[in-house]
Amino acid sequence: MTCVEARQHWHLYHDSEGDARLHLEIEEHLAGCPACAEWFHQQSRLEDLVTEKLAEPPADPALWGKVLAGAGLKRPKTTRRWFWLAGVTAAAAAVLLVVGGIAYIRTSAKGSDLAQVSAQWHERLQTGEEPVQFASDSDHDVEAYLKDRVPFPVRCPPRKDAGFSVRGAGVSEIEGRPAAYLSGTVGDVPVSILVLPKDSLSAFPTQRDALRQHGIMHAPAGQYAMVLREFDRNAIVVVGRTDPAALERVVNAYGSYPDHN
Amino acid sequence: MKESAKSERFLEHLGPLQRKLEGYCRRMVHSPDTVPDVLQSALANAYRDFDLYAEGTNFPAWIFTYVHREIQNANRRHRKNTGVGEPDDVAAPDAWHPPHELPVHQLLLDAPEVVLDRCDSDLAGGVRGLRPLERGVLLLHAVGEFKYREIAEILEVPIGTVMSALARARHHVREHLARIASLERDHSTESSDPDRPETRGGS
Repeated sequence: MTCVEARQHWHLYHDSEGDARLHLEIEEHLAGCPACAEWFHQQSRLEDLVTEKLAEPPADPALWGKVLAGAGLKRPKTTRRWFWLAGVTAAAAAVLLVVGGIAYIRTSAKGSDLAQVSAQWHERLQTGEEPVQFASDSDHDVEAYLKDRVPFPVRCPPRKDAGFSVRGAGVSEIEGRPAAYLSGTVGDVPVSILVLPKDSLSAFPTQRDALRQHGIMHAPAGQYAMVLREFDRNAIVVVGRTDPAALERVVNAYGSYPDHN
Repeated sequence: MKESAKSERFLEHLGPLQRKLEGYCRRMVHSPDTVPDVLQSALANAYRDFDLYAEGTNFPAWIFTYVHREIQNANRRHRKNTGVGEPDDVAAPDAWHPPHELPVHQLLLDAPEVVLDRCDSDLAGGVRGLRPLERGVLLLHAVGEFKYREIAEILEVPIGTVMSALARARHHVREHLARIASLERDHSTESSDPDRPETRGGS
């Protein structure tokens, strides 16, 4: 691939469009051409900043209440009941907290903490307590491996320009639910990606509700950071001991390759 | 589907998209006052048709289609009532490549943070000046985070048209920002030139 050809395809590369072969050819070219690598970097940096600006117009906090009411959409009674029950539960929990059963109550009121569970899983992978089932630095091989082994859709690892380099993958269970994992690095820092069917979030009501409200969520877990978002029919968790912004780039890039099927 | 269950499912799908829908609508409509009405009408129509939505398919693209249609209606009404409109979409070749970069682009590429931090309203102006198709494609991509194929479905145009419209939109926005950056640079150079006679202030 020549410099002109590579630059002509910058839009496709930046937008994770086109086929995987084109991306690999461009990556090969960029690896051997510092001038184009710098050009791509500059173009993408500008475009990311423009996108960031466009995506954040001033929001009106009162808007959606008016819009939903005007459209005849009200929060269903079941939800209101849930809030009522949550209120009663919270009050009961507060009383019990005073009595002293702090740890027990936190667990029962909020369900499991996905950040903690993910961090523990990531740590087990890093310490070797849980061996990586399939070691490979090939995005395609990892994807093929997982697709044959989990009953829900799994997409290619995020593009390398999102910062994530895959090292392996496997299948396990999180809170008794099937989960796929990708093990890799961002820079030199080990980072894991967990892919769960979206309905598995019912085991993590706190995170599920926050995700519904915000679309993406960050949570610390001890020395680790976790970012969670939904993609397609999956919940995607990225966890590692690094800058949460770097983890967010990875989670946002998940599934950005076109499906090869 | 029972009405309460239908409403719950609809709101469950809608929740994570509200911010994007609002952002898209605010950037697309001519009159900012119409944003609540546009969203309200779009949601009412989408909710009416929600029984036709196939669970497990692409809800974001489905709901954006309703919002986009309502934005088009609102912009048409605005144009009719005020006589102030926007440039018409013109047939443009799908295979479009930006012309060679102008030297002034380099200023933008070298320090995009500096330029963009100072010119949110200029960026909005640049986007507003785009043709409707280019603006729609750019915003569906940037705000809605849709892939080319999804944008083509929402706007009901071929995917090649999406690609060329996006490339044109990006180029025009960059031109706009580069002009602003260039003007700011000239102004700042003039202001810091000690030999330049004072043009503002008291007489």
